[in-house]
Amino acid sequence: MSKLAEYFHTDWANMTATDWFGLLLTIVIFILMFGMYFWALRPKNKEKLESHRTMPLHDDETEAENKDGR
Amino acid sequence: MQAEQQQYNYDVVKWFAYMAVIYLVIGTGIGVMIASQLAWPVMNFDNPYISFGRLRPLHTNVVIFAFGGSTLMATAFYVVQRTSGVRIWSDKMAWFTFWGWNLVMLGAVITLPLGLTQSKEYAELEWPLDILIAVVWLAFTINFIMTLTTRKVSHIYVANWFFLAMMIMITYLHVINSLAIPVELWKSYSIFSGVQDAMIQWWYGHNAVGFFLTAGFLGIMYYFVPKQANRPIYSYRLSVIHFWALVFGYVWLGAHHLQYTALPDWTGSLGAAISLAMIIPSWGGALNGLFTLSGAWDKLRTDYILRFLIVSLAFYAMATFEGPIMSSKTVNALSHYTDWTIGHVHSGALGWVAMVSIGALYHMVERMYGTKMYSVKLVNLHFWMATIGTAIYITAMWVAGIMQGLMWRAYDEYGNLAYTFVESVVQMHPYYVMRTFGGLIFFLGAVVMLFNVTVTIRRAKANPSPEMATAANI
Repeated sequence: MSKLAEYFHTDWANMTATDWFGLLLTIVIFILMFGMYFWALRPKNKEKLESHRTMPLHDDETEAENKDGR
Repeated sequence: MQAEQQQYNYDVVKWFAYMAVIYLVIGTGIGVMIASQLAWPVMNFDNPYISFGRLRPLHTNVVIFAFGGSTLMATAFYVVQRTSGVRIWSDKMAWFTFWGWNLVMLGAVITLPLGLTQSKEYAELEWPLDILIAVVWLAFTINFIMTLTTRKVSHIYVANWFFLAMMIMITYLHVINSLAIPVELWKSYSIFSGVQDAMIQWWYGHNAVGFFLTAGFLGIMYYFVPKQANRPIYSYRLSVIHFWALVFGYVWLGAHHLQYTALPDWTGSLGAAISLAMIIPSWGGALNGLFTLSGAWDKLRTDYILRFLIVSLAFYAMATFEGPIMSSKTVNALSHYTDWTIGHVHSGALGWVAMVSIGALYHMVERMYGTKMYSVKLVNLHFWMATIGTAIYITAMWVAGIMQGLMWRAYDEYGNLAYTFVESVVQMHPYYVMRTFGGLIFFLGAVVMLFNVTVTIRRAKANPSPEMATAANI
């Protein structure tokens, strides 16, 4: 067995329910993370996401609207 | 009546902001005191109540939780109201948060010098104060979430995502790490022991850095940098990537604090590997803030508040590069247990957290009181004192730390240690003096800020401008 394979060797037979839960949760979280990257970087979503860039610059208008009670 | 109900609550924000400035002075003042105790042990005055061992946790609690916490609560309440277009959900809950948080800090000021501690780093306070922290933090979180649910705009601005991630994770971290069995009113024992205790401690410790001192302050960055520069953030998509990468990645890092200990070897390696991967989103976020000024860098010549915000991002980039490098086993073998770690922490704490906070606090004071700072020259003076003080502090600690690491592992030709521990301590003296000097400059800068902010507020109240009258009604 190579040193690398030895390093990553896993005794699957001795995995407890907690171990399996942790492993599956880790995989699910990684899939979710990459799914999130895919969603954010998808060209189709660019315009929609970038439209929020200016939100802090417009909050004074919101403030003015509140003053007028609108 | 309808208009009144829709006005923003700036009163609680003003008090949190002012207390943050006061705590900055107190926290850095205690820091200078303990730095001088390390340089000149006589400064302990043979008095247990003001000895290094008791004042050091007080220093960390005041700068992190009192100054950092007050800044986060001020900015979170300010940003969520403005970006949601609604008043804070519950004024009573906001005031409960203000008084409760200050009561916690009063408890810290009393109990820590008395030696009442759980001995967990950055979580020293005993169980009654831990329960109070949990209750106050939940009130803060619920109020923030409920304000978001009543918002008048469909999108939740990304700064609020960072604030919310901080609130959720800190609740989880604080409760788990503080689980303890009380034996007396001011004495308890952690339910964890041995290596599990160490792992829980650093899972908490590094995520306190990741979610309290990073995510929360990134929320500040994503609102106040565009606002002060009057330019939209460079890339909103990058901010989304930054957010999710930070949230998914940070929770893995704690084990890198425990390299070469009883912890299984692979956990430290995993922590280091994810730490190195975290350079990418961290730098993406820092560049996102810096590039916001693309085409308008000239603003830095005249806008001193913007200088604080932008320089903080340079320190953020530097600290988030240095941290992963230090977590790798090769570098960690040299850096661990040395003052290099102290230098790294302060490049993040002074350079990033304090600078971005100071920029946001100056911005809010001007906006909420409808005035300009009493003295722009003093803001400029503060900027240079903070920058030079930080540079002196971290340079001293880098040199001291690397020297310590090299001395501790030097062997002679027979395999004996080349230096005794005491010899390494003696060599530290000039750097400890230099660190005290750097810290003193930073502290005096904070005093200048307190003076400038106090006079600004007093003058604004004495001669309210039309803008202030408007702001006061908001």
